[in-house]
Amino acid sequence: MVFKLALAALSVSLAAGSAVAQIKPEDAIKFRQSGYTFMAWNMTRIYANVNGTYNKEEVIKAANAIQAVANSGMGALFLPGTDKGTGWEPTRAKAEFWTEREKVGQVGGAFNKEANEMAKVAATGDAAAVKEQFGRLAKTCDNCHDSFKAKR
Amino acid sequence: MGEQRVFVWDLSTRLFHWLLAAAVTGAVVTGLQGGALMDWHGRFGLSIVGLLAFRLVWGFVGSTYARFIQFFPTPGKVAAYWRGQWRGEGHNPLGALSVFGLLALLAVQVASGLVGNDDIVFSGPLADLVTKDISNRLTGFHQLLSNALYALVALHVVAVLFYTRRKKRSLIRPMITGWKDNAQGESARGGGIVAFAVAVVVAASAVYGASGVWLPAPPPAPKAVETPNF
Repeated sequence: MVFKLALAALSVSLAAGSAVAQIKPEDAIKFRQSGYTFMAWNMTRIYANVNGTYNKEEVIKAANAIQAVANSGMGALFLPGTDKGTGWEPTRAKAEFWTEREKVGQVGGAFNKEANEMAKVAATGDAAAVKEQFGRLAKTCDNCHDSFKAKR
Repeated sequence: MGEQRVFVWDLSTRLFHWLLAAAVTGAVVTGLQGGALMDWHGRFGLSIVGLLAFRLVWGFVGSTYARFIQFFPTPGKVAAYWRGQWRGEGHNPLGALSVFGLLALLAVQVASGLVGNDDIVFSGPLADLVTKDISNRLTGFHQLLSNALYALVALHVVAVLFYTRRKKRSLIRPMITGWKDNAQGESARGGGIVAFAVAVVVAASAVYGASGVWLPAPPPAPKAVETPNF
């Protein structure tokens, strides 16, 4: 009986372990910083295109990259206790990120929605619509930064 | 000296005042809003650079009451004003403190804003002159200091309303027409067309410098290698 229980517990923990790989806190911070930095690069690409000569393919690549990162489940990288710590640089995630879960869900959800929409609009190649959607997307970045990213 | 109409604020000073009020309002609204409006935040910021530079020159070559030396709030003047013994036109010593405070605060705000970034896509036109870390820190400072700006502007507006309502001395009309009724003093002189031209040239140079268009362009991005479709 005890053996069976132990076996069950072991298999559960193995299953859990395979679904979500264990990550060291500093790695988690690095991964999420990389994700946001990568999205920043793609945001500047779209920005450059709507404020200069418009290249449909460039914008599609950038928008798809943002959409992919936005839907990659980066929430998993915000391990408990990683409001402190250093990845590539000291994290700027505020402790509120872990205490105001409902608000995190709202701003995160809004970001995902606009990122998905961004990819859709980019596919049309309509520069004016892309510019407008870009503004809406950037606003969702801003909303999260205002609440959950420390100003140094 | 009898009571009369006195010309206190020349046209340049009045234009400066209202344009600055508009530009600061625009900068605050777009800055708080963020996102795509950061482009406009930058434009308002550059206008403020030009206006501040203009006012700095005008404080030396402008007409009587626009000159810094005329209203510089020495401790003696502030003390006399506190005891109700100060007599004069133009900025009173307490108002002068507020003027210098606002000008200095705005100078710090544009300086930090010019090298700041919004962590999304927008960065100030001179951000390349500093490291990203310094840019981040100055951005945080810029945002923190905006609270001091709200406080000083609120104080300024409340003080103007106080003088208008309680002391029955409208400060708003003279800032529109330039003339003050029932005043004692000499009308403003000086600040002619040459002085104006000098101030405008300095202001334009300041905006040019702050706009960063003189910075060397970054090298063009290498042609992207076609990625195979995995």
